[in-house]
Amino acid sequence: MSKLMIELTINGKKRKVETTASTRLLDLIRDDLHLTGTKEGCGKGECGACTVIMNGELVASCLVLALQADGAVITTIEGVGDDKCLDPVQEAFIETGAVQCGFCTPGMILAAKKLLEENPHPDEEEIKRGISGNLCRCTGYQKIFDAIRLAADRLSSRNGGRGEEDA
Amino acid sequence: MHQRTVPCQGYFAPQKIEDALEILSGCRGEIKVIAGGTDLLIQYYDRLYEVGTWLDLKNIKELKDIRINKNQMEIGAMVTHTQLEKSEDIKKYFPILSQAAADIGSPQIRNRGTIGGNIVNASPAGDLLAPLMAYDAQFKLLSTQGERIVPAEEFFIGPKKTILEQAQLLTGIILPLPFERTFGCWIKIGKRKALIISTITLALVAEMAEDNKTVKDVRTCLGSVAPTPIEVKEVREKMIGKNFSQLDFNQLGQIVEDKIFPIDDIRGTREYRKDVAKNIMINALEEIGSAWRSHK
Amino acid sequence: MKKMPKRYVGRNILKVDAQEKVTGKAIYPDDIYFDDMLYLKIKRATHPHAYLRRIDINKAQKVPGVVKVITAADIPEVRNFGLIIKDQPVLIGIGQKMRYMGDALAIIIAENKEAASQAVNLIEVEVEELEIISDPLRAMEKDAPLIHKDSNILATHYLEKGDIKKGFAQADVVVENEYKTSFLDQVPLQVEAGVGIYDEESEVIKLWAATQWLHDTQADIAQSLGFPKEKIRIIQPVIGGAFGKKEDISVHIHLALAAMETKRPVKLTYTREESMIAQSKRHPLIIRMKTGVTKKGYLTACQVEVIGDTGAYASSGLAVVHKGMYHCTGPYNVDNVKGVAYTVYTNNTYCGAMRGFGATQMAFAYESHMDILAQQLGFDPVQFRMQNAYGIGSSTPNRQILTRSVGVKETIKEAAYLAGWKGER
Repeated sequence: MSKLMIELTINGKKRKVETTASTRLLDLIRDDLHLTGTKEGCGKGECGACTVIMNGELVASCLVLALQADGAVITTIEGVGDDKCLDPVQEAFIETGAVQCGFCTPGMILAAKKLLEENPHPDEEEIKRGISGNLCRCTGYQKIFDAIRLAADRLSSRNGGRGEEDA
Repeated sequence: MHQRTVPCQGYFAPQKIEDALEILSGCRGEIKVIAGGTDLLIQYYDRLYEVGTWLDLKNIKELKDIRINKNQMEIGAMVTHTQLEKSEDIKKYFPILSQAAADIGSPQIRNRGTIGGNIVNASPAGDLLAPLMAYDAQFKLLSTQGERIVPAEEFFIGPKKTILEQAQLLTGIILPLPFERTFGCWIKIGKRKALIISTITLALVAEMAEDNKTVKDVRTCLGSVAPTPIEVKEVREKMIGKNFSQLDFNQLGQIVEDKIFPIDDIRGTREYRKDVAKNIMINALEEIGSAWRSHK
Repeated sequence: MKKMPKRYVGRNILKVDAQEKVTGKAIYPDDIYFDDMLYLKIKRATHPHAYLRRIDINKAQKVPGVVKVITAADIPEVRNFGLIIKDQPVLIGIGQKMRYMGDALAIIIAENKEAASQAVNLIEVEVEELEIISDPLRAMEKDAPLIHKDSNILATHYLEKGDIKKGFAQADVVVENEYKTSFLDQVPLQVEAGVGIYDEESEVIKLWAATQWLHDTQADIAQSLGFPKEKIRIIQPVIGGAFGKKEDISVHIHLALAAMETKRPVKLTYTREESMIAQSKRHPLIIRMKTGVTKKGYLTACQVEVIGDTGAYASSGLAVVHKGMYHCTGPYNVDNVKGVAYTVYTNNTYCGAMRGFGATQMAFAYESHMDILAQQLGFDPVQFRMQNAYGIGSSTPNRQILTRSVGVKETIKEAAYLAGWKGER
């Protein structure tokens, strides 16, 4: 299997990585870049545990060839907040008890962040749709909805007022 | 070992269609064309090493456009489901195509999956296929030998089988802009609300005549009830030239139930599909009825 | 009773490991890497019920990157494992039986995952097919082929309380039905995965693998390999869900064998399909229930026959099926109870623990019965339940007297209220 060099920006850092045509982006992130926060739950794009943000969009990294990520800008969970200052979405997940085994959590947090970026005041249906690509087997989702609502409130008050009111 | 005119190195991502076509014709039999990868990477799970060479279309800019010229729209094959969902032009002219795209998979899948991929994968359950047929879509097939334009219903010949040749690329989808009095309804039935391959889909598009009373044209297309997406042509015979308000929806629903021959599979039984086909046809007619009435 | 201090009970306490989980820092078994680590893949059974006649690993061994392929012939001293009875082989050998599609035929050890995957597909297997038994009722027939050495009925348990004949004699209405529940997978989001290392000097096998009880797993591995327990060290990484599925041995013994063989760190991660096919499920139960009730709406008798498909191996089947039987009346007072429960082998994927452990399946039967009985009597189904529900002093089918913490009636009332039940049918 011949190796090819690609360059991508991951969590703000430019990285050059040697990879093959049969490597998935998920494998590159975990095995080669040692960022193990992104998980494999099914390998078929159905569970969302492998979710990353690629070129501004939520994607399932188990369904992207590493070579397709040449030149891409990628954010994984490791690029969200840091130990000194957690992202409001991360804080909300902790506070509402939305974390049990934690395996879905990195993907959920990225999906939640993307949702709130595009829709700062989602209603219940919009929250469900925003995380419809992420499965959780522990929590029953209710606390995850609570976390997203809490994060939405905090982010909007942080950004100075409610902004546009939804009906 | 056969002769190759292009050395196959495992992965190509050309910027121009012409280069892609050269690679495709030179590397016969061993090359796999990849767009969003949401079907391919599932098919090749745990055996990606079996693919000799990938031809990635991601850098070909012309394939990502949605263009309107004169009376038609051309959608590039690499346009994603998210783009279809969000495009103001698609929502305006081809609303049920936008709705069908919005019902595919999940945000992650929609951001990567493409209209071209959905068509070429040709699953009998492919969500965009019935709406495309209902809107009279034609597909642009390109190779080093030239271009061919094929109507959607001639493109699909069996489950995951199309007339696309080895050296051909699907580059675009041509849709005639519908007339103003065109109404559509899309219904997808599945075991859950997201990340679900459909049990049955219905794409109903009706065009009203200038008198605003009679049906000028109608296409009743279904997915997941046959080896390919299909149109129930008998509905058209029954509806054309008739006064919409006098249509017997129950009778039309019954025609759909009678004229489809689905199978039992893991997503549903033959009986269920036939039963539901009738009900969703009636619902779709009612929906088109209200859309038409409020438009008047 | 002394009042408990309210420092933690009743307060919103933040989960101690939540921060590492929201930052992606938590270490699950598949997140562990070593520099010279090897990757394992398992060749699994090609038929649900067959004798292995030939296994050819030559082509697999020749795949570049493959270090070793272990078959049963390499491990003659390794013994069966299992939660309660040790009936599950580590690897199926020539002349031995594969009993379900998850049985392991070979361990492939390779430098990378791709080589391991390629090698698995190149292993050639010849079998002598036997009748596939997928229905426990067929398994119970006298002429059914034996899946193990003894009867396909692994265990029979009995339950008796009061006088069942008297109980039915007192009943004005008797309802009898057969209920069936299905196989379910626990689907924890993290599949079975682990890493193993063998320290030659101390002869200790160190395993990182998700498991639900380290001591039982350690003991099971030790007896299978014939080692003292002190030579097996298990470190529990963060577990990505289990719900019963991680009670049984999965990757552990294969990792231990590969680590000892290669003297290098080894990793084994199942695919989701593999997890579905090879690892435990919830027992499907056939529940034949007969219940008697007076016209005033009081239960007098409950008779039940429970048939549990435990699949190819026992796992916790010896506990689950009869535990289900003990829940046959649900949380309702019945003085006269009689039951029999069969734990039956088939060639389906073996069944083990899944939250509820037998009680869950029974609820489908007894609650359906309660609705049917209420309907036949012309009673409101909530009221019918309330007047039969357990209270302090009630006795269960196996004669335990409930002396405290019986919240059934409050639960029924609250559930009815939340559901908006207004006494309608």
